[in-house]
Amino acid sequence: MKEYDSLMNLIDSIASDFLFFDSKEIDVPAAGNFLNKLEQLIKEAEALEADRLKRVASGLSSLLEKIILERIEDKEAGFGVFEKGITLMQEIGDSLKNTGGYEGDIESFMESIAVLTGEQGAESGEQIAESEEQVAESKEQGAESDEIQDESLLRDFIVEGLEYIDEIEVNLLNLEQDPENLDCVNAIFRPFHSIKGVAGFLNLEAIRDLAHTLENLLDKVRNKELLVSSRLIDIILDGSDVLKAIIVKLKDDMEGNPTEPLEIDTSTLKKRIESIEQGAPDTVEVKKLGEILVEDGAITEENLEQGLEVAEQSIPPKKIGEALISEGKVTPKQVSQALRKQTKKAVDTAVVRVNIKKLDDLIDMVGELVITQSMIRQNSFILSNSDIRLSRDVSRLSSITSELQRTSTSLRMVPIKQTFQRMSRLVRDLSRDAGKHVGVVTEGEDTEIDRNMVEEIYNPLVHMVRNAVDHGIDSSEERIKAGKPEKGMVRLKAFHRGGNVVIEISDDGKGLDRDVILKKAVEKELIDSSDDLSDQDIYKLIFSAGFSTAAKVTDISGRGVGMDVVKQAVEKLRGKIEIDSVINEGSTFALGFPLTMAIIDGMIVRVGGERYIIPTTAIRQLLRPKEESYNNIVGKGETINVMGNLLPLVRLYKIFGIEPEHENPWEAIVVVLEGENRSKCLLVDEILGEEEVVIKSLGESLKSSKGVSGGAIMGDGNVGLILDPEGLFELSESLG
Amino acid sequence: MDVDKDMKVLVVDDFATMRRIIKNLLKQGEYKNITEAEDGVEALKILKSEKVDLIISDWNMPNMTGLELLKAVRADSELSSLPFLMVTAESLKDNIVMAVKEGVSNYIVKPFTAEVLSEKIEKIIEKM
Repeated sequence: MKEYDSLMNLIDSIASDFLFFDSKEIDVPAAGNFLNKLEQLIKEAEALEADRLKRVASGLSSLLEKIILERIEDKEAGFGVFEKGITLMQEIGDSLKNTGGYEGDIESFMESIAVLTGEQGAESGEQIAESEEQVAESKEQGAESDEIQDESLLRDFIVEGLEYIDEIEVNLLNLEQDPENLDCVNAIFRPFHSIKGVAGFLNLEAIRDLAHTLENLLDKVRNKELLVSSRLIDIILDGSDVLKAIIVKLKDDMEGNPTEPLEIDTSTLKKRIESIEQGAPDTVEVKKLGEILVEDGAITEENLEQGLEVAEQSIPPKKIGEALISEGKVTPKQVSQALRKQTKKAVDTAVVRVNIKKLDDLIDMVGELVITQSMIRQNSFILSNSDIRLSRDVSRLSSITSELQRTSTSLRMVPIKQTFQRMSRLVRDLSRDAGKHVGVVTEGEDTEIDRNMVEEIYNPLVHMVRNAVDHGIDSSEERIKAGKPEKGMVRLKAFHRGGNVVIEISDDGKGLDRDVILKKAVEKELIDSSDDLSDQDIYKLIFSAGFSTAAKVTDISGRGVGMDVVKQAVEKLRGKIEIDSVINEGSTFALGFPLTMAIIDGMIVRVGGERYIIPTTAIRQLLRPKEESYNNIVGKGETINVMGNLLPLVRLYKIFGIEPEHENPWEAIVVVLEGENRSKCLLVDEILGEEEVVIKSLGESLKSSKGVSGGAIMGDGNVGLILDPEGLFELSESLG
Repeated sequence: MDVDKDMKVLVVDDFATMRRIIKNLLKQGEYKNITEAEDGVEALKILKSEKVDLIISDWNMPNMTGLELLKAVRADSELSSLPFLMVTAESLKDNIVMAVKEGVSNYIVKPFTAEVLSEKIEKIIEKM
């Protein structure tokens, strides 16, 4: 019968291929060819309802797979059965072609395959034996091959392994936001798998075993045998913590700082893993899209519940996002934003690891190069020379140096993302300890800051986040009573403003109680009860050293543990803290830091015989005012009318006690400076130009000078002082 | 049969330490002409610009998995017969059947020794 022709051709081609098949040694590509042909044969047999042929072909296919995977000990016997199978298929094929059916018996043949591939139980036993063999092999190999077990390799593994663990943490947090995202699961599975692989080569048993256990757990998630729950995430987070501890310990040992022998309690962890693997999936704890929408404030809990009902009752069932859109509760944009928030993945980038010391040295040297280059350019010999070629080369030198400086500085800039993620993790742990329900939202994670600042700001940030969770966020009962969602929110936000990077930590807790702070401050004799203070000034009292230690105040005010320490740390970085708070709505602490600790764009100004550098980012405007825009109002002080705004005038020469060239603003120049939350006019004699300057520390004795943030060596080799607008404003106010 | 030890081997793995390990093992087998890529995408770029005689690739990689790389190589008329050795782990070994169907030359299970690696390479080259 014609319809069996193609089937016969396939069987014949398998038979002729087998003639060239080496039956002692598996030829992988040839085996692949067989598998593909068998697959096609199965399909065709199914279409023709040739059930027995299909069963034989499927049996052969799985037999061959087992041979390829080396799961069959006696390969030759395996190939023998395979050959018999081909003959049997030819027989069935012939019979089908001639009679349209096949009445022969295939059961004894199927039995011979089953004997070879073994029953289920026997097979898994074999697998265990095999993997034990693998372990034995790796042990043996670890001991004998010193060449791959060299120190630098181990060092590489430690650095890369720790990076991978960071990546795992990031992706775990992403997964918690979006439990159904398989990409996230894969992104966590993969690093565990890689760590396990290398640890196997390096004979690091403990790491290998733990990574293997965690990998298995994730594999179950991948295969939908386990659901993502916060319990699961907790376990994996704890597992990666232990893994990290083992690797760090390895690092310490290698660096010759033997630490206490690590007591790792992997047994409890293993028990937890076992229990979650066996236990019923815990769907209640799974975090869903709807929750994210509630967190975002897009919908209320009631909206969500109604939406869920609609979603379930719809035929066919809708997804919650669709249901909410169709109910008109959210816009498609809000849903897609929430989805995007969930799926945001860690960005993989190609990187070279460099010792930070080398980088710092490079940036320092480039700084010196810029200055030297600038000195050469302004050398009188160069300035007066008429050689065009020399002039051209000098200007080329300066453009190359400034490009070099830009690039080298950017090398040290890193996104704040990782810091934020560490904070998110912290909030998660803290809220669990405090028994509160607190979520985290981050914004501006890609904002870049100087690498050297990352560590410096870490402790102050931890402190503030801790305060936000411990004291800022109110208890569930209080929140419900105040009509707020039960779940508290901590918001971390980073952005650039002027030459600063601003990091905001907000909570939607009970806010700072102005009156309580005021009362305590008077009690502590920090202020006088008759003082007229703005809200800002009152909030800033919590940074006073004596204030913050009183635990009672802390409880009432909701803030304050060790805030003086935070303030000192921030100021050390030339940073500032601002507080904004509304009672019962929450508080925002904004930390502003200079973008980089190395260079600023400066405007060089002259006052009398002195020169100063003003950070360009702080300058809003330069102008020579008309006489009529100058005002001197009793009690309010001197002002200049700048486009309708009366801004206070600050006479720089008065602050630094120098003899100016001009005293009348309309003869001099006015620089409109922006401080933290106000602008003022700075009176100077002349603008000399703009220059990029490398900040040099003034040394310990001058560090506390107000109004000056540092020194810089200028192009002509002279030193200029860099002005700090906010400090100048405060100085001018204290001078009256 | 002698295998040309000067042949160019491309090692593909996202974990740099693993690439170093494989390179060390290759060097122990006296294969010295080694180039590397950190994922399938980079590997394809290298394959476009350099003549490579053997690919040793990990399975589990971001961006483009070893299987996807294998498919791309086999689909390219100029590279379709290029020897391809897939590295896998015991726990993921079953997946290898997929690679076999896509025409992988052979596979090797981590962790392995220099001898096993050399043996696998020799087998692949012999079958060519």
